[in-house]
Amino acid sequence: MLKMKSVSKTYRTDMVETHALREFSLTVGEGEFVSVTGPSGSGKTTFLNIAGMLEELTSGTYELDGKDISSLNDRERSKVRNEKIGFIFQSFNLIPELDVFDNVDVPLRYRGFNAGERRRRIEKCLDMVGLMSRIKHYPGQLSGGQQQRVAIARALAGEPRFLLADEPTGNLDTNMAESVLDLLSEINTSGTTIIMVTHELTLADRAKRNIFVRDGQVSDGPPELHFAAAANA
Amino acid sequence: MELGPIFRAMLKAKAGYILIALQIAVTMTIMVNAIAIMQEKNDAIARESGMDEANTFAFSSTSFEPDADMRSLVEEDLDTIRNLPGVRSAVASNSYPLRQGGWSEGLQLEPDANSSDSIGSAIYFVDEHGVDSFGATIIDGQNFTPNQVSFKDPESNTWPAYGIVTEALAKELFPEEQTSVVGKTIYLGDNDPINIVAVIDRLQAPWQSWTGVERSMLIPQRRLGTYQTYIVRTEPGYRDELMPQVEELLANSNKGRIIRSMTTMDHVRMRAYLDESAMVTMLTFIVTLLVIITGLGIVGLASFNVSRRTRQIGIRRALGANKFAIMRYFMVENFIVSSVGIATGGILAVLLNILMVNAFGLQPLSWYVIPIAMLVLWLVGQIAVAGPARRASNITPAIATRSG
Repeated sequence: MLKMKSVSKTYRTDMVETHALREFSLTVGEGEFVSVTGPSGSGKTTFLNIAGMLEELTSGTYELDGKDISSLNDRERSKVRNEKIGFIFQSFNLIPELDVFDNVDVPLRYRGFNAGERRRRIEKCLDMVGLMSRIKHYPGQLSGGQQQRVAIARALAGEPRFLLADEPTGNLDTNMAESVLDLLSEINTSGTTIIMVTHELTLADRAKRNIFVRDGQVSDGPPELHFAAAANA
Repeated sequence: MELGPIFRAMLKAKAGYILIALQIAVTMTIMVNAIAIMQEKNDAIARESGMDEANTFAFSSTSFEPDADMRSLVEEDLDTIRNLPGVRSAVASNSYPLRQGGWSEGLQLEPDANSSDSIGSAIYFVDEHGVDSFGATIIDGQNFTPNQVSFKDPESNTWPAYGIVTEALAKELFPEEQTSVVGKTIYLGDNDPINIVAVIDRLQAPWQSWTGVERSMLIPQRRLGTYQTYIVRTEPGYRDELMPQVEELLANSNKGRIIRSMTTMDHVRMRAYLDESAMVTMLTFIVTLLVIITGLGIVGLASFNVSRRTRQIGIRRALGANKFAIMRYFMVENFIVSSVGIATGGILAVLLNILMVNAFGLQPLSWYVIPIAMLVLWLVGQIAVAGPARRASNITPAIATRSG
């Protein structure tokens, strides 16, 4: 259902040309929990941005649910992003001026749901992440773990096919990181495909499949192997 | 629409918005009242004097010969002028509308009445050519006949028994009268009876800022002073050509006098309303400046918000907002700020107007000024915010995954 073939992404400035992804090919099937690891600057985040349609690819093809999305315009890309993809970011990315309810509400409003439907979904997701009691709190009044749970509720509220997580536990302590990972596993069990970018091998182990990215290229296999190879190189 | 969340988010960081709303309110207050003043001035400037201004010019003749026969001199002058091709009519009078200087008298309905009951009116001394020379139209009664025109020394104080009044003066004198006022008698000064022979549509007094500017009366009398004012009405298109011609002819016909102040009615009007025009120009400048400053304030706040919320915009884009939704967010935000400012400004504007009406006799606001001002400020706000909003919509959603 996610299929990238020979995807390249090149950033150009007047002086420098940087190849972030080179002939990157990957297929992720329905219901998979894939971890994407790799050293800093390997192209993990660029992959995530392209997978999440946050950036356009330079060349290659990208199909999502069998549809080539590389030729979509901004409106169509935004619609696909809103309907099919949920994002979880390392720094939570909640909107500080909005309370928990309004934060989870953001993607639902862009979806065009009516007020009743939005409320139903928000309450269901907040209940799932255990934060119904914090519905009127602002992000600044929540712990890091709670903020990330709100972000997960926001990502899930639109019932996306994909959940793209960028270092989802990077800003959390061990206990909170565990509980967030448990939550992600639970979500995956219910059928949502998860692609998680991380540089921590312990987190990658929680995924069913591991992808290693190096120099903008991809290889399957246990991350330990690749990290060891990278360290010996 | 995200009206609720936008409003709630604004309440979390309200200082900047309150300042802009206040600025809009002050602009609205000043703008509305400035428009009311400008409107009053423009209405005054646009008032018709009753003359055929486009085709009329005036000048004065001052005789310095002590024994000059003024009656003959004026007759000869008028004959010369009236016989020129292109001249429609000419008259010697004491003044004309917008001139700033003239003659006024109190008119009463009864002789020896209390002077406080009299109604002030401008007096124009003319002959039977007066109505046509001024460009007025008789709407009731008959013009003066040559026999009714009298001549008198400036020192004597006799009045002819006839008068032609403007419609405004007739209504002021006989407010209850439903039929014609022609034939009615009024009294000038203490007990000089004047029989109204006609009513003309309009002829303003020489003082345009006088509250009774529409009250004038023509009197069939020529005052034989050494200073005479001539009013010449030409056929359309002849005025500019005839002015130097008349000046030369009269100057050459009698070397014992000076022809001065040759002027068109257009120029007289321009000079008469110089203060009003200057006030309108100044207020237009102030209002424009205020609107521009307000617009720049909105641009500044919106630009600051875009910079401050770059990451948030990226997050919204990542969550599914398209470019239009981002633009709309800032437009709606501005609409809310503008609405608060405009509503406050609307109330302040009405209060200030009430104050000005009571203190300075300003006209009350026309009903449409506030809606127009609201529309203008809303529009200015939306135009001002469009640039920053457009910049915001171009922020890449990829910013959401950048650390920071």
